[in-house]
Amino acid sequence: MLLLDYHNVLIHSLLTERFSGSTPVSIDQVVSDFDGVTFHLSTPESKTKILISIQVKCFRELVQYGAQQVLEREYGPYIVDPEPGYDFSVLIDLENLPAEQEEKHNLIMRLALMKRNAMAAPFERAFDEFAKLSEEASRYTTESAPQGVKEGGEVMAIHYREEEAIYIKASHDRVTVIFSTVFREETDRIFGKVFLQEFVDARRRVLTLQNAPQVLFRNDPPLELAGVPGLQNVNDGTLSYVTFVLFPRHLTPQRRYENISHIQIFRDYFHYHIKASKAYIHTRMRKRTADFLQVLNRARPENEERERKTASGRTFRVQG
Amino acid sequence: MSTSLRPYLQCVRSSLSAALAISNFASQTSERHNVPEIEAASSPELLLNPLVISRNSDERTFIEPSVNSVRVSLKVKQADEIEHILVHKFARFLTQRADAFLILRRKPVEGYDISFLITNFHTEAMLKHKIVDFVIEFMEEVDKEISEMKLFLNARARFVAESFLTPFD
Repeated sequence: MLLLDYHNVLIHSLLTERFSGSTPVSIDQVVSDFDGVTFHLSTPESKTKILISIQVKCFRELVQYGAQQVLEREYGPYIVDPEPGYDFSVLIDLENLPAEQEEKHNLIMRLALMKRNAMAAPFERAFDEFAKLSEEASRYTTESAPQGVKEGGEVMAIHYREEEAIYIKASHDRVTVIFSTVFREETDRIFGKVFLQEFVDARRRVLTLQNAPQVLFRNDPPLELAGVPGLQNVNDGTLSYVTFVLFPRHLTPQRRYENISHIQIFRDYFHYHIKASKAYIHTRMRKRTADFLQVLNRARPENEERERKTASGRTFRVQG
Repeated sequence: MSTSLRPYLQCVRSSLSAALAISNFASQTSERHNVPEIEAASSPELLLNPLVISRNSDERTFIEPSVNSVRVSLKVKQADEIEHILVHKFARFLTQRADAFLILRRKPVEGYDISFLITNFHTEAMLKHKIVDFVIEFMEEVDKEISEMKLFLNARARFVAESFLTPFD
């Protein structure tokens, strides 16, 4: 498993089972996802009505950037009032499912992608803004462009984790997505640096990646974030900023769904592989240690005082 | 094996073999005690001249002989911070298993990455030349292991980065 899935596998498998027509049972399950997102699946009224609620740390910010509209577009008829303690809820009636198998699969997938859809709002807004700005900009030459067009839109900040945030900014020729990421531990920091360096270099090195977004990373806030409130400028190397520059080719309507999903998964993917490398190195060291131990044990003289027997099973005994 | 490694290891081997001429020696400061004199350092006349064998500025071996014990400390090459962290992790990993290693010191001597303490009881229970073999093999393998881990990390990072960026096309 190299790339992570965009959807929540547990919700997916749970709903697939429920939707397959097996006898309804009552469910009460809390499902965790990346970035501290929590889902709650329950059957509060009857066994055939499944309530799915999601809680996102930065839901207030997401609503500001139009999350409600995105979620309404995705889950329109299923939306109900949010369950207490959660931010958004949908109610699925098992007796009132789409008839087509295809449609059912589609619905399951959409529900499993709830976190992705909630987080997608600011990205969609930025992509739309880009389209608007680029259209405006095409009417001007570089010199005569008014200030607003040149500078691009405002920076949208999503504080999706305790200390980490995603910043999105649209311009007339690109959309910049900046992840701030914190490393708690020295090893993570160094491994992270190795990985990030490869992200930066990959585009230059590999011919087929020439069209991939440009990746930059640095330890102080990038210039795009100048003036954004709440930025700590602690330069002790624990905080890194990873910038993805998405070019117009990534922002076309055909590509945007896929690319929004993909860029969202960046942090989880990145940290997942740091952890995986650490685990691998750990097992490797364990094995190597065992080898060393074997070498050391060779230093012990073999015990020669074994009882010797004849072929018929009689033993020698030293007399007296 | 590179050209400078062979004489380095050869030198460590002969110096260590010579230093391992140790015998049982009860403490002369406290009665009924028998401690490694190199650690106790209570009587200067029991300590022999310590010896540093350097391959280069950041790879060296420190041998401290005494009448009944020898302390061998290794400094492993650390060219950059990745190697530094890998050496640190590996050394920690080993010292946590010092019980099984018998001759491994739980804490390295100041300025070194890993230390061994060989007492006369070890040389009595084990074959002396095999202990030397172990130290030499350890030195060879550690370098190899560290560079392999570093290569692995870089290769993985490269692969991971490329696979993430590919779907954008």
